[in-house]
Amino acid sequence: MQGINYLIAAYAIVWAGLFAYLAFIMLRIRSTRTELVAVEELVREQQEKVGQNDYRKNE
Amino acid sequence: MALVKQETSVTQAGTRRHAAARPIGLSIPSLVLLVLSFVSMMVSIYMIFIYAPTDAVEGNPQRIFYFHMPSAVIGLCAFGIIALGGIMYLWKKDERWDWLARAAAEVGVVFLTFTLLTGSIWGKTIWGTWWSWDARLTTTLILWFIYIGYIMLRGYMGHTFASARAGAVLAIIGVIDVPIVYESVNWWRTLHPQAVLPLGGAPQMPPQMLLTLAVSSLAFILLFSFLMVQVYHLQKMQTLAQRLRASLE
Amino acid sequence: MFLTQTIAILWKDIRYELRSKQTWTGMGLFAIIVLVIFNFAFDLRVDTMAAVAPGALWVAFVFASILGLGRTIAAEREKGSLDRLLLCPVDRKAIYLAKLLGNMLFIGVVELIALPIFMILFNLPLQAGPLLLIVALGTMGIAAVGTLFSVMAAATQARELLLPILIFPLIVPVVIGSVRATSDLIAPVANDPPWLGLIAAFDVIFLSISMLAFEFVVEE
Repeated sequence: MQGINYLIAAYAIVWAGLFAYLAFIMLRIRSTRTELVAVEELVREQQEKVGQNDYRKNE
Repeated sequence: MALVKQETSVTQAGTRRHAAARPIGLSIPSLVLLVLSFVSMMVSIYMIFIYAPTDAVEGNPQRIFYFHMPSAVIGLCAFGIIALGGIMYLWKKDERWDWLARAAAEVGVVFLTFTLLTGSIWGKTIWGTWWSWDARLTTTLILWFIYIGYIMLRGYMGHTFASARAGAVLAIIGVIDVPIVYESVNWWRTLHPQAVLPLGGAPQMPPQMLLTLAVSSLAFILLFSFLMVQVYHLQKMQTLAQRLRASLE
Repeated sequence: MFLTQTIAILWKDIRYELRSKQTWTGMGLFAIIVLVIFNFAFDLRVDTMAAVAPGALWVAFVFASILGLGRTIAAEREKGSLDRLLLCPVDRKAIYLAKLLGNMLFIGVVELIALPIFMILFNLPLQAGPLLLIVALGTMGIAAVGTLFSVMAAATQARELLLPILIFPLIVPVVIGSVRATSDLIAPVANDPPWLGLIAAFDVIFLSISMLAFEFVVEE
């Protein structure tokens, strides 16, 4: 097959690129999800602290 | 306080929906899209390399076209989505439009990069040169730079309302400017006529080629949709995380 | 009322700029240096000068414009005067217009100084009228888009880097048009597209859009 090199190069680039980008997205989703869970924890802790203070104030 | 609590439960619900399909980490619609894109990609690769006839004039390198053209159309339309998202955001103040715009920017620039790369390689085989300053290529390159500018701007400004508004303005100006850029480069190039570029996709394509193009386009659209859904969720989570973190301080 | 606001803001900006003369001289010298560098970069001889001249002129003007746009808005943000101005119930469009005119005046002065030097360095005695028209319309195009984006980029950390990246792709029609129009002045070509019309249309379109979009950019 004549001229096949360029053809394969083009497809290889696109495929490698797509997989790399997909991996990149998945990594970011994972790290953002972890961060989100962590921040939610912090917020919950803060809310409990405030709730406790309010409770003590009512006493 | 109540507002923060409300936000927390919203995020919890969101992550729970994702966690529901935790084994793979994807929600059901995403999974469906992924499978569909994979299958259609496999089919289109078979069609591109085996089913489609070899072009009489250009030979095998012409097959690059089946990846090149869908990428180009998607890369172009994605910018339209950014502009649409921007306009809708400015009008309705609904953040989801901004998430859509940011997702379209990210995924769109990837597809446009593929367009430039595959186009350049294809060009090398048929014109003997890696690049040419004709209207279509030049405008695509300019559009690529506008994409990069948009992504950089949004990156520097973060996930704030000001960032969303700035992005919307940039996208609107960009979408109006690109046709003007195309025309002005056209006028400019008519002074220095380049070798007439074979369109390589003119209506005289045999039906097998058209069918291959159609299947390949479908595969790319499915892939684009899948990636969009993922990045949309990413943008949503990042915005919520940033906002929650800000509420802590 | 609208015009009064515009002129008031413009006058304030002019008085401020008149005090800091360094930026002007800096920009002017920069423009001239770029022109001189072109001589070395392209090994200009008498016969090739006319071909390269329009490009050299507009590269110098575009870069000097971006410098000017960046400087004025940086000073603005430092002083916080823009924020204070936004607290007043001033029409945002008036602020944009005033900033635009201020930028054009600022860049225009530098261009006026650079033009005679350009004509001398490149040995091109050109008619002042048409040339000034091209320069004015071209600069308006760059400034119309540039004013809007300089305010946008000023909010970010990497504003000096971001501004050219945002502006250059968008002003391509203006650059093409201005260079070709200038080139036509030097050596008229038959059947040339209406470059001046293109620049003028660009100016009208993007001035209006930028003016309307400005309030979204400064909204808090």
